[in-house]
Amino acid sequence: MKGHKLLWVVCLAVAMAFAVAACGGDDEGGGSGATETTTTKGAKKIDPASMDSAKGEVVYCTGKDTSGAQAQSVKDFNKEFGSQGVTAKLLEFPEAADEQRNQFIQRQRAKSGDCDIFYADVIWTAEFASQKWLYDMTPYVQEREKEFIPATFESVKYEGKFFGVPKQTDAAFIYRRTDKVKEAPATWQELYKVAAANGGMAYQGAAYEGLTVDFLEIAFAAGGEVLSGDGKKSAFNSPENVKALEFMVNGIKDGAADKAVTTYMEEQSRRAFEAGRVNIMRNWPYAYALGNMSKIKGKFEVTPFPKFEGGGTAGILGGHNLVVSAYSKNAGGALKLIDFLTSEKIMAQDAAKFSLAPVLNATYEDAAVKKALPFSAELKEAVAQAKSRPVSPVYTQMSQAIFKNVNAALGGQMEPKAAIEKADGEIAKALETF
Amino acid sequence: MESASLPAGTEPRRRSRGLSQGRLAALMVSPSMVLIALVAAYPIVYAVWLSLNEYSVRVAGLSRWAGLKNYREALSDYAFWDAFKTTFIFTGASVFLELMIGLAMALAMHAAFRGQGVLRTVVLVPWAVLTVVTAIMWQSIFDPTLGLVNTLLGTDVVWLGSEPEALIVMIIADTWKTAPFMGLLILAGLQVIPDDIYEAAKVDGATAWQRFVRITLPLLKPAILVALIFRTLDALRIFDLPFVLTKGANGTNTLSLISYETFQTNRILGLGSALAVITFVVVMAVSFIYIRFVGGNIRGLAED
Repeated sequence: MKGHKLLWVVCLAVAMAFAVAACGGDDEGGGSGATETTTTKGAKKIDPASMDSAKGEVVYCTGKDTSGAQAQSVKDFNKEFGSQGVTAKLLEFPEAADEQRNQFIQRQRAKSGDCDIFYADVIWTAEFASQKWLYDMTPYVQEREKEFIPATFESVKYEGKFFGVPKQTDAAFIYRRTDKVKEAPATWQELYKVAAANGGMAYQGAAYEGLTVDFLEIAFAAGGEVLSGDGKKSAFNSPENVKALEFMVNGIKDGAADKAVTTYMEEQSRRAFEAGRVNIMRNWPYAYALGNMSKIKGKFEVTPFPKFEGGGTAGILGGHNLVVSAYSKNAGGALKLIDFLTSEKIMAQDAAKFSLAPVLNATYEDAAVKKALPFSAELKEAVAQAKSRPVSPVYTQMSQAIFKNVNAALGGQMEPKAAIEKADGEIAKALETF
Repeated sequence: MESASLPAGTEPRRRSRGLSQGRLAALMVSPSMVLIALVAAYPIVYAVWLSLNEYSVRVAGLSRWAGLKNYREALSDYAFWDAFKTTFIFTGASVFLELMIGLAMALAMHAAFRGQGVLRTVVLVPWAVLTVVTAIMWQSIFDPTLGLVNTLLGTDVVWLGSEPEALIVMIIADTWKTAPFMGLLILAGLQVIPDDIYEAAKVDGATAWQRFVRITLPLLKPAILVALIFRTLDALRIFDLPFVLTKGANGTNTLSLISYETFQTNRILGLGSALAVITFVVVMAVSFIYIRFVGGNIRGLAED
């Protein structure tokens, strides 16, 4: 008896699923049918004057504030402006970047005003802007344009408008143990050779966004591209990209890179370097301050990326932008906080105390910053020359195509050429997404 | 209403009473029906609805009717079939291992000896550990440089970075965690087998092996089947282990993981929902097969 009943329920559920699938369509299936001009047309514009009379609370959403930099800035803001009736509150999202993005997207889909400001990774701004989730910050940015390093604007610019204010930028470096490797290698090829002879190197080779960056740094240096000039077609399947990937794959085979890099993210790389398991590492500037608190203090040096033989040098721009939610009920207050967070004072504090790369030209001249970051001149140059990852609402899909296939090739499951071809097909497919 | 129609005679009265009884029944059942509709049916129907539409990831608010396009796209994508294969290999291997180990655990826990209570508690510990914690634990055990496995074996395999090693780690982690659950369900089945059957068999001169094969296994069948259905359906929906261990890299992409990635990470709501509905139908189909073909024996056994 019981079995019969269960069977019925199963049949019913399956039948229902198909019945719904079969019918429908005539009532309201047509969609809202917006005409496709520019996707950001009609986005709310920020009014720079609105921050002068701002009152009330501003919620600042960030990823987990592991270094304490954000909490410090918010405290400083409340001390300075609290008496004028405008206060800031920090709302921390999880530590993992994907999760931060999910948290923000869920709020924006629900048209929630939970977050007035979001500390968004540079790769997300285009996507958020295309969904009309952000304020157009052009009027404010134009007033201050000259203060910023121009390259940092690339990731906030979408369809000719600025959808955020750069807060922190990033360009990776080669970390090297000076007691093990005396000279900084001049080319990637030489660097791999030196690494193979001196205990190997570490980079971020796990299947995630970090690998896309690590791969593109070498691929761009070798002369490769992701998209065609107009950004409409995939240009990933090129001899340069194949060459770059072959170079990385051979690096693992020859022992230039630790085999385990295919599971490494930033933190695993940093730990391997600090523990002395590798003597060369590719990582972001954040590892500098932490390295100087570990047992390798004073025994390592940070240098810009070398050249790729037969190509050039290339860095990839990382970092975060401050964006204002289109559903914010206190845009004026949000702008006031942004103005404060991107002020020279806070930038210098972030750089000197937390080794976060500043976006303002002036901060690199600050004496305290120069002292805390001995490589600040190189950092500024690296940031100015670094390239953006493709700015597109479907960037996450393109990046998946790159890191999944590159990771498979590094792990030996695919030939480099086949991996590049497969990624190329997937990027083309991503570009066709509705 | 009813009192007003009273003088009209007995016939309509009886009918109207029958009707009101039915209505009363419907009325009394309706709160739970509404609740079931809200909690269970609505999300399923909504997912099906989403899967028949396309929602633009480029233009805010733009959507269009897609019919079965999302399903065609899902079924023609090699990533889907890779995930399909991985999910079934994982399910087959982990459920089989869990059954074997669980059965052994149940027999051990059933045997009367001192410290039996302690054993039962200890055996259940893995089951009490969160899956995410399990995953992190096994991740460190299989860590290429500091992990226990490579240290003990003296190897330098990058377990989570190679294929099929990553899937093997996933199966080991799942087996470790859920074999005790299997054991517990089977133990419950063992405890209802009356001792006198064994006594009678012993008197008839049956060996221990004969008693196990002829008495224990047949009488355990209903319990084993319930445990199998539970575990199979669970394993087919596996998400947390690969999500933490590998994020789906190196041949560990599962059906749930690709629906999540498509729907949540890539925001392709239509295709993501289609993948979720397909996963749902696959799980339904497997439970159907279990109940239709294997479940027949449950009824047969019950009738015996």
